[in-house]
Amino acid sequence: MSEHGGPDPATLSPAETHALATTDLRGALGWLALGAAVLIGALRMDRLEAQNINPYTVPGLLPGLLGIVMMLLGGLLAARSWQRGARLRGLGGVRVDRTVAMRVATVVGLCTVFGAGLVGHGLPFWLAAAIFVSVAIVVLQAPQRAALGRGLTLRDVAVAVAVGLGAGGVITLVFQQIFLVRLP
Amino acid sequence: MLAGLADLGHAYLGFLNFTSISYGLGGALLGIIVGCLPGLSATLCIALLTTLTIKLPANDAILILICSYVGTLYGGSRTAILLNIPGTAANAASCADGYALALRGEAGRAIGIATSGAFMGTLFGVLCLAAFTPVLAEVALSFGAYEFFWLALFGVAMSGTIVGNDPLKGWLMGALGLFVAQIGQEGLYAYDRFTFDWDQLSGGISLIPALVGAFGFAEVLTTLADPVERKLVELKDSVLPRFREVVQYWRTVLRSGVIGVLTGLMPGVGEDSGAWMSYAAAKAASKEKELFGKGSIDGLMAAETGDMASIPGHIIPALALGIPGSAPSAVLMAAMIIHGIQPGPMMMIQHPQFVYEVVAMTSLATVSILIFGLFLVKPLLLVLRIRRTVLMPVIFLLCTVGAYASASRLFDIYCMLVIGIGAFFLRRRGYQMAPFVLGLVLGPLLDKSLRRGLVLSDGSLAPFFSRPISLAFAVVTIFTLLLYVPAFKAAVRWVTGGTGSLLRAVFSRRGAREAGK
Repeated sequence: MSEHGGPDPATLSPAETHALATTDLRGALGWLALGAAVLIGALRMDRLEAQNINPYTVPGLLPGLLGIVMMLLGGLLAARSWQRGARLRGLGGVRVDRTVAMRVATVVGLCTVFGAGLVGHGLPFWLAAAIFVSVAIVVLQAPQRAALGRGLTLRDVAVAVAVGLGAGGVITLVFQQIFLVRLP
Repeated sequence: MLAGLADLGHAYLGFLNFTSISYGLGGALLGIIVGCLPGLSATLCIALLTTLTIKLPANDAILILICSYVGTLYGGSRTAILLNIPGTAANAASCADGYALALRGEAGRAIGIATSGAFMGTLFGVLCLAAFTPVLAEVALSFGAYEFFWLALFGVAMSGTIVGNDPLKGWLMGALGLFVAQIGQEGLYAYDRFTFDWDQLSGGISLIPALVGAFGFAEVLTTLADPVERKLVELKDSVLPRFREVVQYWRTVLRSGVIGVLTGLMPGVGEDSGAWMSYAAAKAASKEKELFGKGSIDGLMAAETGDMASIPGHIIPALALGIPGSAPSAVLMAAMIIHGIQPGPMMMIQHPQFVYEVVAMTSLATVSILIFGLFLVKPLLLVLRIRRTVLMPVIFLLCTVGAYASASRLFDIYCMLVIGIGAFFLRRRGYQMAPFVLGLVLGPLLDKSLRRGLVLSDGSLAPFFSRPISLAFAVVTIFTLLLYVPAFKAAVRWVTGGTGSLLRAVFSRRGAREAGK
C-alpha cells in the first residue's frame, strides 16, 4: 500500500537533505498548530453533563489524545529537522520545477472547476463531463505539442471533443441506465 | 472441520454458473487493464467498481471486486516489465529483473514467469485464507473492547512504521486519519464533533470519497506532473506461463508465498511489502545473487509470488477481525459493509458461509488471471499506447462519479477534491497515504473501544495491559514506537548483539568440540 512520490533521505545529497529538512520543519510547525487546534477543540467540546453521561465517555476524549499525539510527533519532527540543519530563514525548501508546478496548477484548476463548479449546478452531467474532458485534453496537450515545435491542429481539437463527448456519453449511459446510479 | 469443507464445497458449486464466471472474468479483465495503466491503483479500481456494482446482489458485487483486486496487481507486472514503471506500487520489485529480461528480448518469458508466479502466489494465499480465517475469527470472538483498542492502535502504528521510509511521518499520517475519522456524529451519543455547525459534515468523511481522492485524484495529479511518455519494449517471444520454472524455483515460490501471506496479515502494510520482502529473502538465499536486478528469474518469481500471495493475506484480517491489511482490502471491507455483511469476529456466527464464498471468489480470480495470462496478453497491451493526457481526464471523470455515486452527495465530490489535492502535496513531501487510510478505517473502532473499555473498567487503565492478548498487542505496539527513540534502539541492538554473539560463541564451541571428536 505504499506509494511513490516521497523523497528517500538515504539517496539525497547534503544540499537536498538540508532543503528536505527545511520543508519538514515547516511541515512540523503545521502539525504542531493542527495538534494544538484539535486539542483546544476537544477541550472546548461539550462534556454532556446535562445528560448525566459517564465521564469516561465524553466525546472529546480521543480527539484530545490525538491532538496531544500530533503535537508530540510534530515536535519530534521539528527537533529532527533542526538537528539536520533546517532553518526557517535563509534556506528554501525542496525546489519544485516551474513547468511541473504550472502543470499541476492547471490540472488542479481544471478538476476543481469541473468538480465544484460544473457538476451539480444545472448542467446535465454528460455535457459537463464532455466539456471538462475536451478542454483538459486540449490544455494538457498544447504544451507537449509546443515543445515539439508545432501547435495544436484543428484535428487535435476535434479528436479531443470526440473523446470528451464519447466519455461523457458512455459514462452517463453505463452508470445511469445499466447500473442505475443517479448522477448529479 | 467437515462442516467447513462442506461449506467450501457449496461455495465452489455456487459460483459454477455462467453469470458468476462472467462477472469474475469481467472483474479480472477490468483489473488487469487498470493495473496495466501506470498511476492507477487497485484501491481506485475497487473503489470505482464498488459504486458501479452497488445495485448487484452482494455475492456478485464482491466477486467482481475481488477479481478486479487480483487482476490489478497481476496487470501491474506488465507495465513493470515492458515500461520499467510499476503499474501498481506492488509491482515495483518486479521492475529491475522484468525490464532487464525485456531489454534482452525476453519480455514474453518475463510475462510468462510473472503469470506463473502470480498464479502460484494467489493459489497459496487462497489455501491460507481457507485454513486460517475461520481459526482467527474463532480466536477473535474472545476479543473485548481492550483488545480492539490495541488492535486498532497496533494497525496504525505498524502501517506507519513499515510503509514508506520515515516512520515519524507515517505515524503523523495515521494520527491524521484517526482524527479525520472523528469528524461528524460520534457513535455513542450522536454528538457532532468538529462539524462547525455544518450539516454536511455531520455524516462524517466517507471512506470511498476519501480513498478515491487519496489514491485516484492524487494519482492523476502525480501522473500528469511527470510528462515523460516512456517507450514500450517490443514483445517478440512467447508469453505462455513457465511452470517448468515454478518447479525449478519451488523453494522461492514456497518461501515467497509464506512471506506474502505473513506480510498480508500485518494491518495496513500493503502488497508491495510482500513483494520486496520476498525479493530480499530470495536474494539472500539465492546462489545467483549477482543476477538480481539484471534479469534474475528467481528475483522476478519471488516478487510476483510475494505480492500476489499477500492479497488473500490481506483479506484474512479484514474478514476475521474487521482490520484491513491494505488500502484495497479496506475498500473491499467497506463494500462488504455496504452490501450488509459486517466483517469481524461475528462474521463466523452471522454469515459463516461468507468466508468460504470469499475463498471460492479468490480461487475464481486466480483462474481468471491464468486464462488472461494465456490468451489475452498482446491485445491488452494496446491500452498502454493510450496517451496519459487523454486517459487522465477520463480517469478523473470516473473519480468524480465514484465519489458521488455511493451516497449521491455533492459534498463527497468536494471531499474527494480536498483530500486528493492534500494527498498529492503530502506525498511529494514523503508522507504516505496508507497509514492515513488505515486511521480513517480504524478511527471509529478505536474511539468506541477506548470509551467502552474505560466504562467497563470504571476509568482504570489496568485491563488495557493486564489481559493476555491486550498485553501482547500493547507490548508490540509500544516496542515498535520506542524503536524510534535512539537510546532505546541502541539498547535493543546491544542486547540482541550480545545475545547473538553469545549464541555464536556457544555454537562455535559446540561445533569445534564436535569437529574435535
